Amino acid sequence: MSLLFKGRSRGAQLSQISILQRIQMFFLSHLRQALGSLGEMWRAGAASLMTIGVLGLSITLPSTLYILVKNAEQINAGWDQASEISLFLKAETSKQHIDQLLTRINSWPEVSKVTYIPADDALNEFKTLSGFGDAIAYLDKNPLPPVVLVAPTEKHAGPAAARLLLDKLRSEREVDIGKLDLEWLQRLDAILTVAKELVTMIALLLFLAVVLIIGNTIRLNILSKKDEILVMKLVGATDAFIQRPFMYTGFWYGLLGGLLAWFTVICLLWWMSSSVEAVSALYQKQFTLTGVDFSTLLIMLSTSVVLGLVGSMISVKRHVSAIEPK
Amino acid sequence: MIKFQQVSKTYPGGQQALRKVDFHIEPGEMAFLTGHSGAGKSTLLKLISLMERPTVGKVLINGHDLNQISRRQIAYIRRDIGMIFQSHQLLMDKSVFDNVALPLIIEGYSHKETSKRVHAALEMVGLRDKVKNLPIMLSGGEQQRVGIARAVVNKPPLLLADEPTGNLDPKLSMEIIRLFEDFNQAGVSVFIATHDLGLIARMKYRTLTLKNGQMITDGLSQDF
Repeated sequence: MSLLFKGRSRGAQLSQISILQRIQMFFLSHLRQALGSLGEMWRAGAASLMTIGVLGLSITLPSTLYILVKNAEQINAGWDQASEISLFLKAETSKQHIDQLLTRINSWPEVSKVTYIPADDALNEFKTLSGFGDAIAYLDKNPLPPVVLVAPTEKHAGPAAARLLLDKLRSEREVDIGKLDLEWLQRLDAILTVAKELVTMIALLLFLAVVLIIGNTIRLNILSKKDEILVMKLVGATDAFIQRPFMYTGFWYGLLGGLLAWFTVICLLWWMSSSVEAVSALYQKQFTLTGVDFSTLLIMLSTSVVLGLVGSMISVKRHVSAIEPK
Repeated sequence: MIKFQQVSKTYPGGQQALRKVDFHIEPGEMAFLTGHSGAGKSTLLKLISLMERPTVGKVLINGHDLNQISRRQIAYIRRDIGMIFQSHQLLMDKSVFDNVALPLIIEGYSHKETSKRVHAALEMVGLRDKVKNLPIMLSGGEQQRVGIARAVVNKPPLLLADEPTGNLDPKLSMEIIRLFEDFNQAGVSVFIATHDLGLIARMKYRTLTLKNGQMITDGLSQDF
């Protein structure tokens, strides 16, 4: 309805137009403006590409770091699960006592698996793995104690629970030394926490940069269209209507920047995968770099789209309303 | 249709553009506003189109006090006023069709309705065959007529024109005025600011004259 003239019909509100058609027209007009913005970016060519490039690379760095940290966490998680307690038994323990010990430990609820390695087997293994085979042949008696490997259940595999179990096992009469190598795990954990915080910080800084870059690009867009905005305001365009194409430009910058980042991350991971494989081969560990899965891609794209929208919104709120016909 | 009640406008810096201006233009009336440059014509029109706000006094359109209109509502007010400018204010990189269609697109008309109305408006101003041209390819008079087509395309009840014949020769000016007369005959109120006294002298229309921001005459152009 017209504010000044009662009964004066408005285009979108003509009585013969149904609500459905009106909704349809609303989306049609949005689609038109969205495609219009995309077309304008296309015509701007190199300038748009450079902006997208800057955005893409800004998002690539935190994304890559994020994926690396996620991979490191996976390594950590893998070892965490396998955390085993090694019990070195007193050398003079009889076979009978050992069997009793094994049955006892096996019955504990915290324990999922018990493996017994007799002293002779341990010596053989040491011979083959250490390369000291010849030297060991000179020994007149097996210096190695029998060993029991205790794998805790998943619930008791965490550092604190495993330590409790270790104390309990140590108090067994037949056990000489119990070892749970957790310290390096805790260190890795701490390093990962620092790394994660570092990634968050870098990401926040770069995201801020993205917002500023998009904001500035949109600002230049708005200023270069000052005349058009003036004319539109003169013929009755609301600020919201004028702002919409710029918001869509921000959206497209975000989306395309995000896609570029995704592509770059894939290239980087592919490039790194061979060296990572070499490292994991040295540790005799089967490990493949997890790439960008669908949820990560979704997070990346939505983050960059949101950044694009925020950047353009800041710019549009400040500059579109400032342009007034005089 | 347009009513000024004791309107004064002082710009920041102390320049007084209008002093206690009082007048009323009836619905369906066609009137001229004249005076030397700097007399306050542009300021008066800007108060109607809400580009400026009065310092003192009230401006009413169709009985509605414009002082009550919020900043967000201004856009909707402007949709009810067809505005024509001396400098046309056309988008030079858009076709004639796109220029004229702009108010309709803003209001959300369907594509079919837009096309129909744009062609009708261009028909009225005699530019039907220039639909696809860019404004830059048209003559000054033709550009002005595109501006008029854009002003009337959504059939506003009120037309405001600021020096619509400013850059045109007398023959073209007369053609433009004849166009305004046609719209007036269709029931549209028309208010034209011009310093082209020769043009007004040839017609019998109410003429308001401003001098130093004050309304000095208000009557038929033949009276003076």
